[in-house]
Amino acid sequence: MTASVDAKKEGGFLAGLIKSGAHQKLLAFASLIMLLIGFSLGSPNFMQMSNMIAILQATSVIGVLAIGVTLIIITGGIDLSIGTMMTFCAVICGVFLTYWGLPLPVGVVAGIGAGAFCGFCSGTFVAKMKIPPFIATLGMMLILKGLSLVISGTRPIYFNDTPGFDKISRGSLIGEVIPGLPIPNGVLILFLVAIGVAYVLSRTVLGRYTYALGSNEEAVRLSGVNADRWKIAIYTFAGAICGIAGVLIASRLNSAQPALGLGYELEAIAAVVIGGTSLAGGRGTILGTLIGALIMSVLTNGLRVMSVAQEWQTVATGAIIILAVYADMSRKK
Amino acid sequence: MFSRRTILGTIAATALLTGPTAVFAEGEYVALVSKGFQHQFWQAVQSGAEQAAEELGVTITFEGPDNETMVDKQIDMLAAALANKPAAIGFAALDSQAAIPLLRDADAAGIPIIAFDSGVDSDIPLATAATNNMAAAALAAEKMAEFIGGKGKVAVVAHDQTSRTGIERRDGFLEKIAADYPDIEVVTVQYGAGDQLKSTELTKAILTANPDLSGIFGTNEGSAIGVVNGVTEMGTEGVVIIGYDSGKAQKDAIRSGLMAGAITQNPVGIGYETVKAAIMAARGETIDSEIDTGFYYYDAETIDNPEIAAVLYD
Amino acid sequence: MDKIVEMIGVDKGFPGVQALKDARLELYKGEVHALMGENGAGKSTLMKVLSGIYKKDAGEILIRGKPEEPVGPREAQALGIGIIHQELSLMMDLSAAQNIFIGREPRLSFGRIDDAEMNRKAATLFSSMHLDLDPQTVVGDLTIAKQQMIEISKALSFNSEVLIMDEPTAALNDAEIADLFNIINKLKANGVGIVYISHKMDELKRIADRVTVMRDGQYVGTVDAKETPVDQIIAMMVGRKVQHDPLVVPEISDVPVALEVRGLNRGKEIRDVSFKLHRGEVLGFAGLMGAGRTEVARAIFGADPLDAGEVFVGGEKRHITSPHDAVKAGIGYLSEDRKRYGLAITMDVAANTAMPNLENFTSQLGVLNESEIDTATQEMVDKLNIRTPSIHQEVRLLSGGNQQKIVVGKWLLRDCDIFIFDEPTRGIDVGAKAEIYRLIEDLTARGKAVIMISSELPEVMRLSHRILVMCEGRVTGILPGGEGTTQEDIMTLATQRDTNQQNAGYIQ
Repeated sequence: MTASVDAKKEGGFLAGLIKSGAHQKLLAFASLIMLLIGFSLGSPNFMQMSNMIAILQATSVIGVLAIGVTLIIITGGIDLSIGTMMTFCAVICGVFLTYWGLPLPVGVVAGIGAGAFCGFCSGTFVAKMKIPPFIATLGMMLILKGLSLVISGTRPIYFNDTPGFDKISRGSLIGEVIPGLPIPNGVLILFLVAIGVAYVLSRTVLGRYTYALGSNEEAVRLSGVNADRWKIAIYTFAGAICGIAGVLIASRLNSAQPALGLGYELEAIAAVVIGGTSLAGGRGTILGTLIGALIMSVLTNGLRVMSVAQEWQTVATGAIIILAVYADMSRKK
Repeated sequence: MFSRRTILGTIAATALLTGPTAVFAEGEYVALVSKGFQHQFWQAVQSGAEQAAEELGVTITFEGPDNETMVDKQIDMLAAALANKPAAIGFAALDSQAAIPLLRDADAAGIPIIAFDSGVDSDIPLATAATNNMAAAALAAEKMAEFIGGKGKVAVVAHDQTSRTGIERRDGFLEKIAADYPDIEVVTVQYGAGDQLKSTELTKAILTANPDLSGIFGTNEGSAIGVVNGVTEMGTEGVVIIGYDSGKAQKDAIRSGLMAGAITQNPVGIGYETVKAAIMAARGETIDSEIDTGFYYYDAETIDNPEIAAVLYD
Repeated sequence: MDKIVEMIGVDKGFPGVQALKDARLELYKGEVHALMGENGAGKSTLMKVLSGIYKKDAGEILIRGKPEEPVGPREAQALGIGIIHQELSLMMDLSAAQNIFIGREPRLSFGRIDDAEMNRKAATLFSSMHLDLDPQTVVGDLTIAKQQMIEISKALSFNSEVLIMDEPTAALNDAEIADLFNIINKLKANGVGIVYISHKMDELKRIADRVTVMRDGQYVGTVDAKETPVDQIIAMMVGRKVQHDPLVVPEISDVPVALEVRGLNRGKEIRDVSFKLHRGEVLGFAGLMGAGRTEVARAIFGADPLDAGEVFVGGEKRHITSPHDAVKAGIGYLSEDRKRYGLAITMDVAANTAMPNLENFTSQLGVLNESEIDTATQEMVDKLNIRTPSIHQEVRLLSGGNQQKIVVGKWLLRDCDIFIFDEPTRGIDVGAKAEIYRLIEDLTARGKAVIMISSELPEVMRLSHRILVMCEGRVTGILPGGEGTTQEDIMTLATQRDTNQQNAGYIQ
């Protein structure tokens, strides 16, 4: 049930992207719509432009992280380091821009590059040194958390001297073109990343091997494919996507917060799982992950706007994760 | 399909059933976005806020992220709070800069903002209701110096190296020692994330490294309890412990003499003053821009004094 | 004789497929009843209906003359029906006794398990089967054959009167098969009715009393096993007569050598293996299970490491340390366990076919040219006569024979010069077997070199131009193919144990 397969039959890539999800993701998508309707009925303040944009904005960072980890999960692996990796990339970005005063594009590339490098390291631990992904990335998670604190001197790095940096996430190109639709650039970037990664997954060798490794790694190896190298490539790519998330969060906060990041990996993994990606590997789509991430943030925002006590918000989020995965399992039976 | 209908139904039910439990804003409504909500300290702030709300006949909501590193989560909370169009917002910023765009939105919408617990680096908040952490930590240093006779080695177990309260309490203590007590050496500052267990381990490590230590300052409730546990587990005697905030464990430690004393903020007062100032601002009354909510030093003798007991929490 | 099971007019449909249509089966007490048919004929589905795994859409099941409808494996067990699946379902980290009594462990007070009693019961079971096995052995440490015996013990421990065996000998060697047949005969004498699914014709003659043949989910007929000629049974299965031409062994001594290995060694598994493989030649690898044939193949392919040895491809020495290197040298390996090592079964036909070849179908940026992949796959599907509704069908939904053809197809597309087939016809049916044989013949006709590992001697003898025989990791001889060589010749070499080793065995 690879995306590429259905995509092919329908011709156009975008048609394929939607079509491949259509059948499989109907349920998740319907749940999302139900949530939106439910909250609209629950609070008159929920369904307003500014709140919808707030929801999208809240999805942007977790969404990009979830897209990155989707790749790893499709290979049958897991990446626990994405949260702190994101922070690490933000800090590196801060070092380049604030400490060294380099131009903005250099800082952005450095942040993304740092992610790619971290992914490369995780990939090497997993593919070459045969350390189980759970352990390898648990180690990376702690290493990167520590390094972020060390490099930043345990203080937030502010980007006040880099004008325009905060526009990466907070600005709105769409709002300039279409007045009255001030969708932040962070959200735009989330969707661009989603489209880009969906393309890579369905249309490139890297994507094909991502599914193949998750489906049957040994068969890939015995097909004469340099499976280790591709696995490292996938982790590197996922790392670069985390790097994008790092730049996004740094821009949104206009600062690199070195202590942040722990816990984000679980939230991203939850979004991936709600989106129907199997933790056993071999299956999953970016559209699903995107919907999963949206469900999470609609739920959080909606419960807040309805002024539900915070303790119960947490309970509801947990229940939704279990329900969503249960529904997905029932569908596959 | 059976399962599909089930889940959709359940989701809808979840959404609707939670409705009745929700507190709907009728009349004047103040949204408080704090730095946390699980911690006893924040619970005390919330109770103070609720007390004020009751007296003034308004409603409030109180929210905060799971831990004090989640800067972006707090901003999402602020965004959701804005959607509900409150009369005023109380806000304890984890990172002032990060919240500025939303504070501007609130300002533009004419919603007054009161900062609480720690200030916000911006001229948008009309007032700040907070403890003077530097001064409070300096008082802790003074008391420490008194107990150890103005000389010896001390250590600090701090709760955080990035948050403003963490930095101010640490620096308030260190600066006071450096300025007034040349014979006291601060051998180390360690960070335990306000986690009791981590702080316990840290304390034991500090004591192992410095057997001749005279005193330890724990900069918040979790840190202070961790220090007490660490000293107890090591069986070390004669180490002066100064804590911060209250809570049952810390109060017990002070009563039993394990802890010499502690600084307490006035969390109930912070919550109370924040809501009061917010409503006054919403009603167009003038308010002071600095609301000092006060702090006290307390020990086994003063712990039951009415003015102390009123601000301590369990 | 008593009729113990009767299934009449059973229908079972799955979305898009009518798996069973008016299927029938009759089983007497103390009978071994072979159920035959090509893959996809519905044998397994029928047995899953009988053992309560699937629910039938229509029809009747009579157990001891009473209509019954088992709704799950547990109910089927209660009715005295046990099934031993082709793929064993044992917990590898538990002991033999724990596996047998899982879910019904003898208890002491307070829910404690009575291990002693459990082990004693298992030991009794084993001795009744003449099985020399410690009930406390961890199952994962046993051979496949022993594991299968444990499955049988487990089924018997339910006092089953009906035992369904789905290809029980697929992974067994001759000695083990003889043991299994002994047990089957004993069960028969005790009045157990056995439904026996197998593709091996010689086994039918040895063990079965009657044969029921199915085709396309339908009942074809039931005949006497001993008296009906094999050709007739095959004709019933495939609906036509399958014939094959006698093997023509080509003259290969002048043909260039495609592959030469010298002095391969690894521990006790591979001991000083050397041989040459010519272009256009089929070199059969014969030997008992565990003789080291697969180990040699995997080592040549770079899938497992070697202690020593040299590999020459086309006269040139190649340093092969990974399958990647082997493929670059033009070697393709079709592993014995397709699902584990050969296919990404949740992916489609096109993706699997293109797997080793993706670099030929991509732009410089790594973007796949899907239409070229599809064209090439479609050509391969047509050429190999792979039966699939579409090249975008997931391969797990295809039959074993078609899966095997896809594995062949992916290496054909890669244009390898040397093919190593490891048990190419395991678990696939007669019709598909014939096609795989024809395919191997086509390959050699085009000058490709083929190594074919098979545990079925008739298959080795039918295809091989030369036969390399192994025993205990050593090459014990290379025999010429064709009429001149008999099964006995091969077996003599295959059992030619190292004398030193044998003496050592006696001392122990």
